[in-house]
Amino acid sequence: MAEIQVTKQFQREVKRRPKVEDFKNTAKLFFKNKFAFAGFVITVIYFLLALLDEVYPSYLGVSSYSSLLSFQVSYSSVLPLPPTFDKGWWYYMGTTQLGSYKFALFPSVLGALKFDMGYSLIIVLAGAAIGVILGTFSATYGKYLDEVLMRVTDVFFSLPYLIIALAFIFILGRYLIYVVYALIIVWWPIYARLARGQSLYVKSTKFVEAAYAAGSSRIRTVFSHILPNVLSPVFIQLSLDIGSIVQIFAALDYLGVSVSPYIDELGNIISLGQTYLSVGVWWPIVLPGIFLLIFTVSVNMMGDGLRDVLDPRLRR
Amino acid sequence: MEELQEVKQKTVQEEPYLIVEDLVTRFFTSKGIVKALEKVSFSVRRGEVYGLVGESGCGKSVTATSIMDLIPDPPGRIMGGKVYIDGFNILNDLPKLARITIKSETNVIIKRNKRLQKRHNYIMSKIRGKKIAMIFQEPALALNPVLRIGEQITENIMLHNRVEIAESIIRRENLGEKDVVDFLSALEQYKGDPRKFINTWTRNNAVPELEEPILDLLRTDASFEFKKSELLALVNSQKHQTNLGLVSLMRDYYKDSDALLDLYLKLSEAEERGEDTTKLESQIKEYERAIRGSYSFLRLKMRFLKRRYDGIFKAEARKRAIELLNLVNIAEPARIVDSYPHELSGGMQQRSMIAMALASNPKMLIADEPTTALDVTTQAQILDLIRDLNKVIGMSVLFITHDLAVIAEMCTRVGVMYAGNLVEEGPVNEIFSKPLHPYTSGLLAAIPKVEAGTRDMKLESIQGSVPNLIKPPSGCRFHPRCKFKMDICSEQKPRLVEISKGHKVACFLYSSEVA
Amino acid sequence: MEFKYFVIRRLLLIIPTFLGLVLLVFLIMRSFPTAQLVAAYINRKLAIPVSVQIQMAKAQLGLDYPVPVQYFYYIGALFRGDWGTMNLQNYYTGPVLQGIAYFFPNTIQLAIFATILSVLIALPLGTYIGSRPNSVSDQAGRIFSLTGYAMPAFWLGLLLQIGLGRGVISGNPVGVFPISFPYSVNLINFLNPPAWINTSLGISYPTHIMLFDALIHGDFPLAFSALMHLVLPVLTLTYGILAGLLRFIRAGMVDSSNQEYVKTARSKGVPEKVIIKRHIRKNGLIPTLTVVGLLFASLLGGVVLIEDVFNYKGLGLLALNSVLDSSIYGVAGTTLVFGLILMVTNLVVDILYALYDPRIRY
Repeated sequence: MAEIQVTKQFQREVKRRPKVEDFKNTAKLFFKNKFAFAGFVITVIYFLLALLDEVYPSYLGVSSYSSLLSFQVSYSSVLPLPPTFDKGWWYYMGTTQLGSYKFALFPSVLGALKFDMGYSLIIVLAGAAIGVILGTFSATYGKYLDEVLMRVTDVFFSLPYLIIALAFIFILGRYLIYVVYALIIVWWPIYARLARGQSLYVKSTKFVEAAYAAGSSRIRTVFSHILPNVLSPVFIQLSLDIGSIVQIFAALDYLGVSVSPYIDELGNIISLGQTYLSVGVWWPIVLPGIFLLIFTVSVNMMGDGLRDVLDPRLRR
Repeated sequence: MEELQEVKQKTVQEEPYLIVEDLVTRFFTSKGIVKALEKVSFSVRRGEVYGLVGESGCGKSVTATSIMDLIPDPPGRIMGGKVYIDGFNILNDLPKLARITIKSETNVIIKRNKRLQKRHNYIMSKIRGKKIAMIFQEPALALNPVLRIGEQITENIMLHNRVEIAESIIRRENLGEKDVVDFLSALEQYKGDPRKFINTWTRNNAVPELEEPILDLLRTDASFEFKKSELLALVNSQKHQTNLGLVSLMRDYYKDSDALLDLYLKLSEAEERGEDTTKLESQIKEYERAIRGSYSFLRLKMRFLKRRYDGIFKAEARKRAIELLNLVNIAEPARIVDSYPHELSGGMQQRSMIAMALASNPKMLIADEPTTALDVTTQAQILDLIRDLNKVIGMSVLFITHDLAVIAEMCTRVGVMYAGNLVEEGPVNEIFSKPLHPYTSGLLAAIPKVEAGTRDMKLESIQGSVPNLIKPPSGCRFHPRCKFKMDICSEQKPRLVEISKGHKVACFLYSSEVA
Repeated sequence: MEFKYFVIRRLLLIIPTFLGLVLLVFLIMRSFPTAQLVAAYINRKLAIPVSVQIQMAKAQLGLDYPVPVQYFYYIGALFRGDWGTMNLQNYYTGPVLQGIAYFFPNTIQLAIFATILSVLIALPLGTYIGSRPNSVSDQAGRIFSLTGYAMPAFWLGLLLQIGLGRGVISGNPVGVFPISFPYSVNLINFLNPPAWINTSLGISYPTHIMLFDALIHGDFPLAFSALMHLVLPVLTLTYGILAGLLRFIRAGMVDSSNQEYVKTARSKGVPEKVIIKRHIRKNGLIPTLTVVGLLFASLLGGVVLIEDVFNYKGLGLLALNSVLDSSIYGVAGTTLVFGLILMVTNLVVDILYALYDPRIRY
């Protein structure tokens, strides 16, 4: 008797779609983790600030802005000004310079969040979407498509990510939007491989076999059975990748691959400060960097917490 | 046949090798405290096969793990009781090892004494493998996949049996003229590559350092005609003598270390019994002084040349490993010794595990469901093996299983466990013919019968399910499922009482004694 | 199958992947206008008139033939050593292959030093942390891994320049390490340089690595300066790799210590230290080995950044400047070289892994 009950329960567990109660339990477990909670809170704060940049830019002290030039200031000194609390909130982080242009750091950094996070989100989501679709379909629809996908991703994996990005920026053109495209191209193979591997595993489980036996068509199976199970590791990878993408995006802008040096983006801001390094002007580099660091660390803590909670192996 | 019977009679002696007294083990989990073992008591005599039977989750594996003191901490801990292995209580410093404060089911604070724990671990590492060994359920998982079988067996030998290894090396290295003559005649008859022969010979005789010089002789004397005297000179050479001398020194050192360890154990026991320890302590001091003095040079040399001398020991231990594999009926032991676990079948893996467990001649083996993961034919072979080992070597076995058929086949005495308690114990015939405890009779009744006239009989089962050990039933833990439940059963716990000779039961149907 | 066949098989597998990469690079190159492709082959200083040179270049590239044929022309060119030419201001002008040959030793030097350093630190540290889960050192290790993973490499480089760099913050007591270039230029007499240094390119012979060349030629102050210049870049790279390694080693050790065979070893009476070393760690390193290839890929990516921050003349800067100065052959060449380096490294890692884990059947 007991054994029959167990089998039914197992089937139910394995087949069910996520329910609201599951979500609440998962959320509770997630927030128990101090690191994850802190990471989550800080990420949300950053996200809200970025949203504010877009929707209500006047909190930055300008009516609208699209580049660093909106935050120009003027003063007499030849070198950038250090952080000070006397001259108004724009000067809390001091200033930085590019040629004859002088910019206040604090509003620039706050404004940069929009660019960094916005574009990074686009890159990650687009890359994930493309990758997951390609990967799942390739795993379900079999041999020829699968081989092609594997070869193509092999080529991508044989190159360091930065080189691929540089190459595609070179091909497409050195504008910010092409940086975004290039990074999407760099990123999709990861998700394609991940989704493919997970789909293959799910395909071999019993309940997918049962679905086919019950007459479900391939495409219906993909959407209602395979995808939900594939999405879990993809989601974890996503949350970890957001941190990485922001870093790489900032790195590319730091290298100056895009033509315009006035982009209000953290990497770019840091690169401006490099010229004054040898005279002991450290704040244009260190302060924006700390901003970036806090964000990436928080996202990673949150992602780690998510993974601890969602990883089926760690479940009782 | 008769001789075997006699041997069997002789080897089952009355004094127990393993005594378990009031063993209590708990697991502290986030969902509460699991009361896995509640004052379990039994003993296993020398040379007998004692079976521990029960459903999954009744605590038999936990019992075995507790006896070996292998309970993972966290989350588990042995909370109380005594376990005597060959007269020594391994839990005698248990109360001093940690201070446990239980504030609620989910809030438990454990403060461990690291220094004492380290000392305890050291003592246990000397006992495990040597006095008592264990084999596990799934041999594929229980063997280390990156080490060869031989390495895993010799690991055991190198830990516990260095004295014996040293002695066999010395025996072998005392090569005399006869041995040289034997070698030469064997070499003459050998039709293949002399180098290979020499390599095998020096390896099997644990004198690898002779290989190079002999090969050198080969090179100078192209016609392969050895001069006996030259070979003898080699055998009596300075280097050879040094190695021989060093190995004897090492043997004496290991012997003295073992003696010292025994003294430490005796000291622990005496401390527990509150006896006067001054004489023991002075003995120990003398030993320590002697060891430090006479063997200081040896220790220095060994530290620098450890690999080389280990090599000599390992070669000899390898020989013994091959012998052991032979003992457990593995074909081609010399090939298996160098194989990895995943290259073997399930039956061979389990045999290798048995060989591993036997490596240091333990007087007792705990077998935790060794055949559950194997197919029926292999199961029969393994059981035969264990039975033979018990009869021929006289090794006691604590056999854990849920399969009553195996119990009937293998064991002389049986203990039945339910939900962390030992509920019945007795000779195997009596348990099967006259089960006393309702649970035991339920188990036996549940065996499907295939005799004539039983075709349409319903399958009997025990109603209800295994209880949750975080909130176990009050009183006798079986009472919710018991057909003969009385009022007292839910209030008090019955004590394990001897009803007839050798037959104990814990049930209020037979005795009103309370635990 | 024998091990030799396994190695050969893996070697052969590289070829299609590399050819695939070459194909990709080739197709992209051919999507650029012909003028740009040909321009790299024109040398105005030669006596041959430009129009004739254009014809010669076209023939060399096989531009009159259909595209598939051009592909084979391209492969042929690659094998002949004709990788085009590049013209990067302030950096290098000349044949691409030679430029790569000049600069990739520096990059390899950085990568190898960083790898060795991180492995040397990660193995004992990872073992220590992995054997004590949830201890203080474990928490510290996790925080370190977290920051290492999240730290933008270029920013860390800059930070190290500020903190430990010479001549940045006045009066900085730890400001000892030089912050740019592979060596101190003031140690070379530019008016009368030694024969083994090419001052216009800034390259040394024979190994193109200043550290080794200076040692070979006995110029110890220069060698020492080269060593000092290595410190900051290598430290930056090491931090990132170390964080990744530590994380995987720890996870692997924790996983491995929960396995049955550890219980078996304990039941034999094996002392704890030996259990950690022989049983837990040997198995625990296996998942790390599978990731080493990926870690190296990110290392190569990071190298490009580091070379920019420290103005370290290596392959990464070459690639970067190719992009910034719009040199087609430069980008193509450096991409191919990076790909080749990574493929070879992955091959080595795969072989090492097959050797290490006896369960892998070749």
